[in-house]
Amino acid sequence: MLTHTYDTPKAPERVVVIGANGFVGSTIVSELTKAGIPVRGLTRKEVDLLSSEGAQRLLAELKPTDAVVFVSAIAPAKNSDQMIANLHMAQTALRAFAAVPPAHLLYISSDAVYADDANPVTERSPLAPSTTHGMMHAARELMFKSDGKSPFVALRPTLIYGANDPHSGYGPNRFRRQAASGEPITLFGEGEEQRDHVAVEDVARLAVRILQHRSVGALNAVTGVATSFADIARLVADNFDPAAVVKPLPRTQPRPHLLHRFFDITECYKAFANFHFERLADGLARVHREAAAQAEGAGELRRSA
Amino acid sequence: MTASPKIAYVGMTHLGLCSSISAASKGFETLGVDLDPDLVAKLEKGDLPVNEPELDDLLRDNRQRIVFTTEPDKLAGCDVIYVAPDVPTDDTGASDLGKLDQLLALVVEHARADAVIVVLSQVPPGFTRARQRPGRPIYYQVETLVFGRAVERATRPERFIVGSPADPSEPLPAAMLTYLEAFGCPILPMRLESAELAKISINCCLVASVTVANTLAELCERIGADWSEIVPALKLDARIGPRSYLAPGLGIAGGNLERDLATVMRFSEAHGTDAGLVRAFVANSRHRKDWPLRVIHSEILANLPEARLGVLGLAYKENTHSVKNSPSLAFIRHLGPWPIQVYDPVVPASAAPHPSVTGAASALAAADGVDALAVMTPWAEFRELPLDDLAKRMRGRLVLDPYRVFDPKAAHAAGLDHRTLGVAA
Repeated sequence: MLTHTYDTPKAPERVVVIGANGFVGSTIVSELTKAGIPVRGLTRKEVDLLSSEGAQRLLAELKPTDAVVFVSAIAPAKNSDQMIANLHMAQTALRAFAAVPPAHLLYISSDAVYADDANPVTERSPLAPSTTHGMMHAARELMFKSDGKSPFVALRPTLIYGANDPHSGYGPNRFRRQAASGEPITLFGEGEEQRDHVAVEDVARLAVRILQHRSVGALNAVTGVATSFADIARLVADNFDPAAVVKPLPRTQPRPHLLHRFFDITECYKAFANFHFERLADGLARVHREAAAQAEGAGELRRSA
Repeated sequence: MTASPKIAYVGMTHLGLCSSISAASKGFETLGVDLDPDLVAKLEKGDLPVNEPELDDLLRDNRQRIVFTTEPDKLAGCDVIYVAPDVPTDDTGASDLGKLDQLLALVVEHARADAVIVVLSQVPPGFTRARQRPGRPIYYQVETLVFGRAVERATRPERFIVGSPADPSEPLPAAMLTYLEAFGCPILPMRLESAELAKISINCCLVASVTVANTLAELCERIGADWSEIVPALKLDARIGPRSYLAPGLGIAGGNLERDLATVMRFSEAHGTDAGLVRAFVANSRHRKDWPLRVIHSEILANLPEARLGVLGLAYKENTHSVKNSPSLAFIRHLGPWPIQVYDPVVPASAAPHPSVTGAASALAAADGVDALAVMTPWAEFRELPLDDLAKRMRGRLVLDPYRVFDPKAAHAAGLDHRTLGVAA
C-alpha cells in the first residue's frame, strides 16, 4: 500500500539513481529527464558498492535534499553467494545513507518477494520468497526500512520486457530474439502458464510518479493482466513478416504446480488513478519496432565504420 | 416487585429507543432515559430521530405507558434496567467502552438494590464479568437489531440470549423473567462469557455466508455461471436455509460486523487461537469492496482518458441519509481525475469526496452524456427507471450495477453493457 506525502505532485530537487546503467535504471533516468526532473545517474564505474571505497564514493555524491532510487543489483541472484553480495551492496549504501539520509528512498524490488501461490497477489500479500532472488529483495527492503532514516518505498515489478533487456529469460525478450534470428519461438510444453508482464517504461513511469508524490509503502508494478506464454509467443510472432513459427517443445521438467499467477492492481488504481499500463499487445508491437530500428541503426553504424 | 415489572432503557439510541417502545407495546410501564435534554424533549413530543417501519405507530399506540426523561433518579422506580448506549469503534474496529461504563455507573448509583441491571450494548467477552460488584449482579443480553427491521426484531424476537453472572441453571430474576416471557419466545440463559460470544458467533455465521456468496459470485463472473441461479438451490437445502445471507455484495457492510471480526482477531491473538478464517473474511471483504473500481478501470478508464462518469446513489444503503461506510463514497473517492455527475434521492452531491462533482436533478439527468453509470445504492426509485431513456441519455454503454437494481435482461434489451455481481458480462 502506498501513502502519498504530497497529494499534488511536486518534483524532487534532484534524483540520484544508483544503478543508472542497467535496464530498469537507465529507463528511470530517461523518464525522469523527460519529466524535467534533475537526475544524477550513478553507475558501477563511478560507485562500486562492492568495493571498500563504495560508501565514501556514494557519500560524496549525496545531498540531503536528494531523492534516491536504488536499482543496482546482481540479478537474478541465482545462489547464496549472489544473494549475499547483493546484501553487501545494500549495506554499503546504508553506510552512506547513515551520514546523509536521502529525502526519499525508492527501492526497485521484485514480485519474487511474494509466495508463489499468493493468488491474487496484492501489496498486502505476505512476503514469503521461494528463491534466493526473492529473499534478497525482501531482505534489502527490510534493511532499507529498518536501518534507513528516509521515507521508504518499494516498487515491486513483475516480469519486465523492453527492447534493451539484456536478459534472455523465458518470455517476450527471448521470443523476439529467437524470431529475429530466424529461429522458431520455442515454448515449454504448450506454454499454457499465465503470467503478468510489464513494460520497462511503465515501471519507470510509476517510479517517477512515486518520486513526485514522495510516496511511502509498497506498490506492485504489474498490469493486472495475466497472459499465457503461448499467447505472448503468438503476439511476438505476428509482429514479424512473415509471422515467426511458434514451436512447443516437450517439457524437460514437470509442468509447474502453480500454473498461473494473477495480481490484483486495485492499489495502483487508488494510488495513481489516471495511470494505466500499456496493453501487452501494444507494448510488444512497440518493442518490436524499437528493436528493429536499433538493429537498423547498428547496421548503418557498422556500414559507416 | 409489582406483578408487572417496570422496565427502563438507558440510552435512547436506535437500539434503546426501539427496545423501549417495544417494551411499552407489550404492556409494561416503561422509562426511556437519556442525558441529552434536546433528544428527550423531541421524544416527549413523539418526534423520533430514527426512521424505522411501524415505529411511529407503535409509539403513538403505546404513548401512555412510556415516559422519556433525562433524570436518572427515576430509575429508582424500575425493576429491570437495560443499558443500551452505542459503543463507537475506532479505525481498527476496537470498541470505545467509556460511555457505556459511565452510564453503567450512573445506573448502579440510582437503581434499587433489588433491580436487575442488564447490559444490552455490544461488548467484548469479559466485559460484564469485570463489572460485577458484591451484591450488585449485572446481566448481559444479546441484541440482534437490524436497521430497517428493528421493530420486527424487537417485538417478535426469535429468542432471548441472556448472560447470567450466577449459575445459568438457576432461574433468572423473577422481574426479568416476567418481562422476557411476555414476548413468547425461547429464553436461553447461559454464562456471561457465552452470551457475549454468542452475539459475536451469530455475526460470524452471517459473515461466513456472505463471504461464501462473495467468493463464489466472483468465480461465477469468470466461468459463465450465474450466482442468482444458484442461490435458490442453496436456500432449499435445509442445512443452509431459506433466510441465509447469500446475496453477494461489495464486501461486508455495517460497522457492527466488522467490530465483531476485529474482536475475534484481537482475542485470538491474546489467547493463541487460530483466527485464519476470520482474517480471510476480512481480506475477501476488502477485495470485493473494490469491484466497481476494478471494472470501471479495466472497461472504461484504461481506454478512455476523457471519460465522463455518472453515479446513482450516495447513501450507504437505501432509505437512509447516512453515508458512513458508504461503498459509493469509497468508489467516488478514487475517481478524482474524471468529472462525475451524481444523484441521490436524499444525500446532496456535496457529500461526494470529489473535486469536480455535479449534482444532477434526477436519476436520468445523472446519466446525461456519461460513458459509464454506476448504481451504487439500491434505492427503490432506481428500479423504476426507463432503461431505454437511460440508454439514450448516456454516451457510453457501461452500467455497473452491483446490487442488480436493474433487470439484467431489460438492461441488455436497452443496449446497455450491464455488469453486476455474480454473473459474467
